[in-house]
Amino acid sequence: MKIYQIKHSLFGVLILGLLTNCTKLNESFNNAFPYNPSAGTTSAAGVLVSSYGSLNGVFHGQDQIFSLEENTSDECLVPTRGGDWDDNGVWRVLHAHAWDATHSQAASVFTNLGTLESNATTVLASSPTPEQAAEAIFLRSLAQFYFLDLYAQVPYRTVPNYNTLNAAPVMPPADAVDTLVNNLSGIISQLDPTNKNYQATPNAARFLLMKVLLNKQAFLNRENPAAPDPADMQQVYDLGTAIKTSGAGLNLTTNYFDNFGPNNGGFGAPNTGGTSSEIIFGYPNNGTATNPNGTSNGGITARWMMGLHYNSYDAPGVYGGAGWNGFSTIADLYNTFDATDTRKGNVPYPAPNALGVSPISGLNVGLAEGQQYNERDTAINDRKGNKLIFTPDVHLVEADVATLEGAGIRVIKYYPDYAHYTGTASNQLVFFRYADVLLMMAEADLNGASGGNADALTIVNALHVIRGAAPLASISLVNKGNLYDPNTLLAERQKELYFESWRRQDLIRFNVFLVPWALKATDDPKFLLFPVPATQLIANPNLKQNPGY
Amino acid sequence: MTTKRLLKRISVLLLCVSLTQLAFSQTKVVTGKIIDDKGAAVQGATVSVKGAKGGTTTDVNGAFSITVPAGTKSLIVSSVGYTQQELSIANETTLNVSLVASSQSLNDVIVIGYGTTTRKEITGAVATVRAKDFDHGAVSPEELLIGKVAGLQISNNNGQPGGTTITKIRGNNSIVSGNNPLYVVDGVPIDATSPLPPNNVTGIGSSVTNNPLLFLNPGDISEITVLKDASASAIYGARGENGVVLISLNKGSSHASVEAGVSVGTYAGLMKKPDILTANQYVSELAVYNQHSDSGLRFNAFNTILQNKASTLYTAAINSGGENGRFRASFSASDINGIILKTGLKQYNASFTGDHYFLDKRLKLNFEVVGTNYTLQSAPISTNASSTGNLISAAMNWNPTLSLTNPDGTYNQKNPSGQINPDALSAYSDDYSHVTQLFGLGGVQFTIIPGLVYNFLYGVSYATSSRDAQIQGLIAATGSNFDGKGAGQIGGATLFNQNITNTLAYTTKMLSNNLTFTIMGGYEYYETSNLNYNYTTVYGFNFNVPGGPSYPNIAYYNDMQAGNQANLRVISAAPTASSLQSYFARGTFNFEDKYFLTATFRADGSSKFGENNRYGYFPSVGGRWNVMKEGFMQNNRTFSNLGVRLGWGQTGGQDGLIPGASKQIATVSGYNAASNAAPPTTIINFASPDLKWETLTSTDGGIDFGFFGGRLTGYADFFLKKTTNPIFPGTLSVPSFAGNYWQNLPGDITNKGFEISLTAIIIQNENFTWSMNGNMEYVRNKFNYPSLGESPLFLTGQINGQGVSSAYAEALANNQPIDVFYLRTFTGFDKAGIATVASQASSYVGDPNPHYVVGFGTDLSYKKWSLSMNMHGTFGNQIFNNTLLSVTNLGNIANGKNIAQTLIGTQESLANPVSASTRFLYSGNYIKMGNATIAYNLGGVGNIIKSSRIYITGNNLFEITKYPGFDAEVNQDANNQGIPSLGMDYIGYPTPRSITFGVNFSLN
Repeated sequence: MKIYQIKHSLFGVLILGLLTNCTKLNESFNNAFPYNPSAGTTSAAGVLVSSYGSLNGVFHGQDQIFSLEENTSDECLVPTRGGDWDDNGVWRVLHAHAWDATHSQAASVFTNLGTLESNATTVLASSPTPEQAAEAIFLRSLAQFYFLDLYAQVPYRTVPNYNTLNAAPVMPPADAVDTLVNNLSGIISQLDPTNKNYQATPNAARFLLMKVLLNKQAFLNRENPAAPDPADMQQVYDLGTAIKTSGAGLNLTTNYFDNFGPNNGGFGAPNTGGTSSEIIFGYPNNGTATNPNGTSNGGITARWMMGLHYNSYDAPGVYGGAGWNGFSTIADLYNTFDATDTRKGNVPYPAPNALGVSPISGLNVGLAEGQQYNERDTAINDRKGNKLIFTPDVHLVEADVATLEGAGIRVIKYYPDYAHYTGTASNQLVFFRYADVLLMMAEADLNGASGGNADALTIVNALHVIRGAAPLASISLVNKGNLYDPNTLLAERQKELYFESWRRQDLIRFNVFLVPWALKATDDPKFLLFPVPATQLIANPNLKQNPGY
Repeated sequence: MTTKRLLKRISVLLLCVSLTQLAFSQTKVVTGKIIDDKGAAVQGATVSVKGAKGGTTTDVNGAFSITVPAGTKSLIVSSVGYTQQELSIANETTLNVSLVASSQSLNDVIVIGYGTTTRKEITGAVATVRAKDFDHGAVSPEELLIGKVAGLQISNNNGQPGGTTITKIRGNNSIVSGNNPLYVVDGVPIDATSPLPPNNVTGIGSSVTNNPLLFLNPGDISEITVLKDASASAIYGARGENGVVLISLNKGSSHASVEAGVSVGTYAGLMKKPDILTANQYVSELAVYNQHSDSGLRFNAFNTILQNKASTLYTAAINSGGENGRFRASFSASDINGIILKTGLKQYNASFTGDHYFLDKRLKLNFEVVGTNYTLQSAPISTNASSTGNLISAAMNWNPTLSLTNPDGTYNQKNPSGQINPDALSAYSDDYSHVTQLFGLGGVQFTIIPGLVYNFLYGVSYATSSRDAQIQGLIAATGSNFDGKGAGQIGGATLFNQNITNTLAYTTKMLSNNLTFTIMGGYEYYETSNLNYNYTTVYGFNFNVPGGPSYPNIAYYNDMQAGNQANLRVISAAPTASSLQSYFARGTFNFEDKYFLTATFRADGSSKFGENNRYGYFPSVGGRWNVMKEGFMQNNRTFSNLGVRLGWGQTGGQDGLIPGASKQIATVSGYNAASNAAPPTTIINFASPDLKWETLTSTDGGIDFGFFGGRLTGYADFFLKKTTNPIFPGTLSVPSFAGNYWQNLPGDITNKGFEISLTAIIIQNENFTWSMNGNMEYVRNKFNYPSLGESPLFLTGQINGQGVSSAYAEALANNQPIDVFYLRTFTGFDKAGIATVASQASSYVGDPNPHYVVGFGTDLSYKKWSLSMNMHGTFGNQIFNNTLLSVTNLGNIANGKNIAQTLIGTQESLANPVSASTRFLYSGNYIKMGNATIAYNLGGVGNIIKSSRIYITGNNLFEITKYPGFDAEVNQDANNQGIPSLGMDYIGYPTPRSITFGVNFSLN
């Protein structure tokens, strides 16, 4: 039997032709390209932009670093208000110190810090110039600093092994501190001092190094920090002096809130062109979709919308949508300011209109307390028709229908950019601020730097002159019985830096993070650290879950 | 027991019919006509005297004439594919018989992958549904199968005409894929991707995608075969994991005929009313909660977004041919208006199919061309609406005492609660998707020598679409940039796939013809490319905005240049493309028509797999024992059919993988303002060279049976399925790139269950037939990943709305069903009316996967009347009512919004947080009357109309369920990072109750 009795050679040709034509397994994937740095398909400059871009979410988001550093502290909480802000309890547990290993924000920040560190490491692997390498090391150090601060474990990758699926090695706190000190010390001279304040500069590296040195003992032992090494404190002081004398145009801004208002950023020569003269490092939102350094505009609008009531601003287009009516502060912060201290705010901004209220919306800057008015000086109502009054009395769960919407003083540090209310606003997000340099120098003084107590008092009182606060007669580090004692540096730091994502770190460094405070009755040392996310523990056996989770 | 009762019933009925009839003459001539249940003549049916040899057959018009002895009491009428009928003829000389097609004829030709077989030879779990069993009123092909096939769960969970359906065969096999089966149209696999770009202008979530199978006119489909187990679907290899649905189009017939039909549909309201307070209830609840938002009116705000415009469907088809060929040309035009304002589907479809033999029938050429154009009009009803909501939530929430319009006729957009006016949202938004799709195939079948057949098939499908959308600046309160400014979008997409198949099959008989042996080998190449994103949006217009001039006839999308060009955004992308190259073979053995064995093997090379695992190999084997052919069954009077099947096979899954899934790729992710600077680059996917398909290993055992001469037929199967190496987006050890990394998890997914399907012809005589069919599937699904311990691997089932950010209702966890509900357990309200929970920790509390899927149908015909009803339902699953949690919750009455009726009389306080818990978990049990049709066969009218039929059909007539939402058959997309959810309900398009009147006729 002849099976292959093919009389019609046509078919043979057809089969053969089809077989030979169709042996490729082609694939294409939108506008992506195969990524292989060693073959030069990506540039250090391009990845450096991405590295700066990866600061965006993790620093702008109200549920990212800001939330972990502020909501866990005594100065910030997000009350559940009926239909708003339950979010499966994710906010309440932060203020009450009751979170567990599944906390979504702790997991998300861990991943996002990893992205920042990874991008920065990729720059180093992409044949960077010395300047690009120094900027990348700065950004990598920033990520490692927050890993250390929040989780006490610093996963990292070496440059040759940056691009691998293998489990990343992990630095314990002591190694991490040493690495940060070495790397940051090394890049100060490499970085270009004429870089803009949204790029890594020698001053930004100095600032971060000051933070590392100040927090060093807390990073090594949070429950029981050892006394600071005077040599470290002297280095902090000297780094501060170097920043003061760097000639980068840094000095205290006359109107405190100009540091955060629209167009605060100096996108010209360092610290020129903006209303703030204090920004050492920030994220350059400029009111357009693309920032001067090629990154995307960040969601800075969250900084005002997270606290403002729906009806805080009733211009066309945002009717009933002025804010999310969430984040509040507690009476303790409000009461800590003396009467003339301009940092308390609750005044019109930038200047009152003819009716004596803020133009455009009537919204006061700073701590917004009491009846809210619009720009026509008419009292604003809440959504139920009651007067909209922000009250100091606030609870984790607002159970009283009458005060559901108004409870809690709101913090308007970043004054809304009304030209871009919900879109691409022009407020630069401030990471490092000059006033903090001065306060860190004072803290170094109080911890053994050569200036001592007297120099610390001089620094703080000089700050008080600019801020309109009464001078202090004496100053110490902390009063463990009263966190708001005006003659302590901890209280001074709060008044100057509230809602700037430093409070948790300060409370831990001053060893008072576990004391009871408003709406947090009990505590446990495990809350000094956040849990490592479960997915990361599976992916990386070098990570260990923090104690208690 | 059943036998006796059935026989008793039949005999009583027969007795009634023949009671008063007596016969005296020696012989007589009986004439008549045999038609099918649609009124078409049945040619070639055999009519014979009971107990006698011989008989006659019907002619082309179904007519017969037979001379029978006097005293003949009954005639037997039989025809292949129809159930045999016994008819009493005591005194009559004319007989008009309507035959009921048999669902289980053993000689039926069944389409399987790369060939056909007959029912008696099938070794796997295969079900076929023929056109006569299709429901009326289906818009897309898979709707034809609802409730018809055991083991098949089809959720038409969206009342939008042309909306997507979800089809699952025997449970959830995969974590990342949609679990939809592979669709194959006359041998050509289809890329079932929606060919539409998204709508990005409403600012209130993305709207639903369309059904990718809309290009087929359900009226052109002659049958659909479902390959349920791996021994049947393994011939489709890496794509067979979720089963295969083979769609066959009507190929025409050799005698000429013209068919035509017209129908008009209307709505009889919603199948279930929205769960909101009436105006009067609202006012009394205001008093209960001491609220003061009574604005005086009393009306139903939800009804203002409903419409009831007639839907029309026109169909026409010509069949013709001769000895060597046949063709069919079919045309349809439909205009279906949705029940929600400004939604609908307008469709034109033409298809041309046929085949022709040459060279003494050694060469057969066949072809199909299907062209369709449809316009889908959508309303802003998204599945992921933010706290601002969508059209449905706007209408549910609107205060039923507050006028939607101002005295001057404009829309009242100053609702004190700050919410969107639903009528304004509808009036000021437009969304039109225009799709043109062409599907074609050409085949060559050449018999080289007797028994050796070569087949070549080339198929191609091309779809191109454009989408025009706008939201006028006259809208307020959406909370987006578009309020007061307006936005427009134009966009397009294409979808192209082609498939080349070559097979060579050889059949021979051996062992003195007792063994029939067939072997088939083939090669196939498939590629698809899909351009997803190509659209332009602009916002900020000076007309049709508050205070601006009104040009109602100029849509923003037709005048994009008039928008603020500073706000112009353009997105474009090259196609994503993937390809598949396959070699496959099948051998079948038939020994004495008693023992059957089928073995298949397929090797699939997929561009999606990692370079170390380019080729996957998928074997299967299945056997069948036709017990009826055994000697010991020859004298049995119980069984009319008895066959036993056992099959095992492996199939693969690659649906969850996107092109590039295994490669390390990056994109240019923005513009660098510095001149000549490098653009930012972002890695979007990490290389995983070992990435492979997920493997489904399935075992199926089944029994096919028939009793009482085919009056009771059915099948029962058990199945065990296990998906190993499930595909999942991996977590990289940080520091790492933010991009995807695809991996195969070390866990597995099992689906175990059984299914049973029964068809009973209870009564059958010349005037009256009554048949019933029912099917049921029981399936339990489980995800196994022991190293996880108690913690979930991943959370999905994203909860939408205000106050529930980053909240999820479902989890993937060890020893739990896929998408198990993971929530805190609600325990009531405390004295202050605040909800309490058993623990702040979530636990595994419910299963969104149905445990039972049932379908039930019955057909009655009396003389020229017929009635058919079909019901379907699921049991054992839960639904998460996200609408009640986020949209119609109690707190909203304090915000001047309407709330759910189910909240009347609870102890809840207005201050109770909106918090996810088991309080919102409902039983998903339901039974739905999906379709009921009453028809009257007019028969021939004059010399022109050969047969005609008028009917009235109702769809979604009612649903029996305790679930308070629009429909318990619900599955809104609430995915988290692409990981699908199941059983989530959030302000979807409501299910309408529709009534259709129609007439079908054919011409001589």
